[in-house]
Amino acid sequence: MERQGELQGSHVKTSHAKVGASAGSFESGAEKGRKPDLKDPNVVLSLLEADQVVAAKQRMHFGRRNLSISVRVMLWALRIYVVAMLVIVLISAFQAIHSAP
Amino acid sequence: MHRMIFRNRRPSMELTLRLVKRSLYAKFNSLNMKRSKKDSSAQPFGPAHPTTEAAAASPLAHDLAALLTHEDVDRARDRWEVRHARWTERRSKILGRLSVLWLLVGPGVLVFLGENDAPSMLSYSATGARFGIGFFIPFVVLTFAMGLVVQEMTVRLGAVTHRGHAELIFDRFGRFWGFFAMGDLLLGNFLTLVTEFIGIRAGLGFFGIRPVVAVGAGLAVVFAVITTGRYWTWERITMGLAIFNALFVPAAILAHPDWSAVGRSLVTWSPRPHGDAFDILLLILAVIGATVTPWMIFFQQSAVVDKGMQPRDISAGRFDTLLGALLAALFAVATILATAPLFHHGINASQFEAAQFAEALEPWIGHVGATLFALGIFEAGIVAAIAISTSSAYAFGEVLRTGHSLNRPLREAWPFYSTLLGSACAAAALVLIPHAPLEFIVLIVNVIAVLAMPPALAFLLLLVNDREVMGEYVNGFWDNAAAIAVTIVLVCAGLGFGIATVIHMS
Repeated sequence: MERQGELQGSHVKTSHAKVGASAGSFESGAEKGRKPDLKDPNVVLSLLEADQVVAAKQRMHFGRRNLSISVRVMLWALRIYVVAMLVIVLISAFQAIHSAP
Repeated sequence: MHRMIFRNRRPSMELTLRLVKRSLYAKFNSLNMKRSKKDSSAQPFGPAHPTTEAAAASPLAHDLAALLTHEDVDRARDRWEVRHARWTERRSKILGRLSVLWLLVGPGVLVFLGENDAPSMLSYSATGARFGIGFFIPFVVLTFAMGLVVQEMTVRLGAVTHRGHAELIFDRFGRFWGFFAMGDLLLGNFLTLVTEFIGIRAGLGFFGIRPVVAVGAGLAVVFAVITTGRYWTWERITMGLAIFNALFVPAAILAHPDWSAVGRSLVTWSPRPHGDAFDILLLILAVIGATVTPWMIFFQQSAVVDKGMQPRDISAGRFDTLLGALLAALFAVATILATAPLFHHGINASQFEAAQFAEALEPWIGHVGATLFALGIFEAGIVAAIAISTSSAYAFGEVLRTGHSLNRPLREAWPFYSTLLGSACAAAALVLIPHAPLEFIVLIVNVIAVLAMPPALAFLLLLVNDREVMGEYVNGFWDNAAAIAVTIVLVCAGLGFGIATVIHMS
């Protein structure tokens, strides 16, 4: 929450004010049904969420989560289950084909 | 921490602008996000798009235009259409609501109609031909309900995180588990793609078209659809093709089913199937595998992201998924009804392939009905080939962190399009190789899908319950209860199959 407050600080507000004017006029344009000028980056940014922009996504990644013991056990159990079942499937399918007339 | 700021502050336009400006060219290097130090692939200025990279290094870095890509602009255009439709909704509620839904349906309809693919239609045909109207009709409806539970979670994940499923698994669980998940996906996808081309070949084979021509035509359609360079166009063309899945409905009507028996079976789940328990279990697994598969999870989440859906669109995404499930369930039931005459006339359909069903049905549903059936099989193969190859390409691009959007031109995202076309070409080529083990692949493909599903569901459940990723959009109690029930059913079905196989062998 502290960081959110920080983001709303004066430094950011200054840069936002310039962009906001353009976006505001765009908003009214959208309501009137006018096609937006997508050559204007401010318009493009106003239509997308912050982490929807490709450049942002390329730089921002979710970090690794800590896997608890129970989660690790579950993932390993499922992995063993898949491998064991795959072997059974392959054997049975192989037999089915070779027993077919 | 920074991620949480994004997550907790939903789409306020002002905040979006502020954060993007700040994030894009002022703070990227210093904030360093919530990246794991162990994750070497997540460099501060990692494998960026050349335009972006150049802009970041340029003294003109403040030029926003240099940071935006073709993909962003196309996505913004789609978002503007949605925003405009929402504004229309204020004036004319019905018209506006319909416009919004028209713009936002797509991934859900495509994923379910894509899953009504050639091997699935073959499974439904087999159940209709071997057991007639009975247990399998409500069972198929139940499997689509299970699919709906799973797919709804992918809509939320995609709309909230704007990340594909493969990317999230790699980010949150690391490469070790990520490669396992990708292995399951790519193996299943490739085998399924092969069966789609078998369906395409069989469907057109009914009209006397040579296999090489049929498979070539299938590839040409896949190629033609992706050359649009626009997600929206790709989606609409593929949906236009997918709606031909409805061809099974007139085929079912021409079979003159006993509608009262259909109603009774839906209520009583009877008559139940009789015969070899192993065969019935195999068919049950095939029907489940025809509805709930890993590629659907990866595809729908990536498609939701590519479409640019936002948290505000989740309810429309749910409607889209429900619509897809309803349509697919209707067409699946229609396929069972269309082939039920084979059961009533005692025709042994145990060794039938797709086109043989159409030929065998001709005396009972007429030439028109058989033609519709064969065209339906062809359509099922085509749409699934498009969707599944796209699913592989999305996952591949997300893992390699290269461009992975249908909004990108071919030259800009060539690894993405190469994967898409390469997987389709390889599957098509395998179908044409004489003595290739196609029967083996057809036998195991749906079963493998069922077996690979529990780990895929585990990752999905862990992600959708991850508050750091989903914020307020985490699963509720009933979401989890339903998802866990689906996982248990799938694990039990797989284990049942394993036990039956061991008993069958001994």
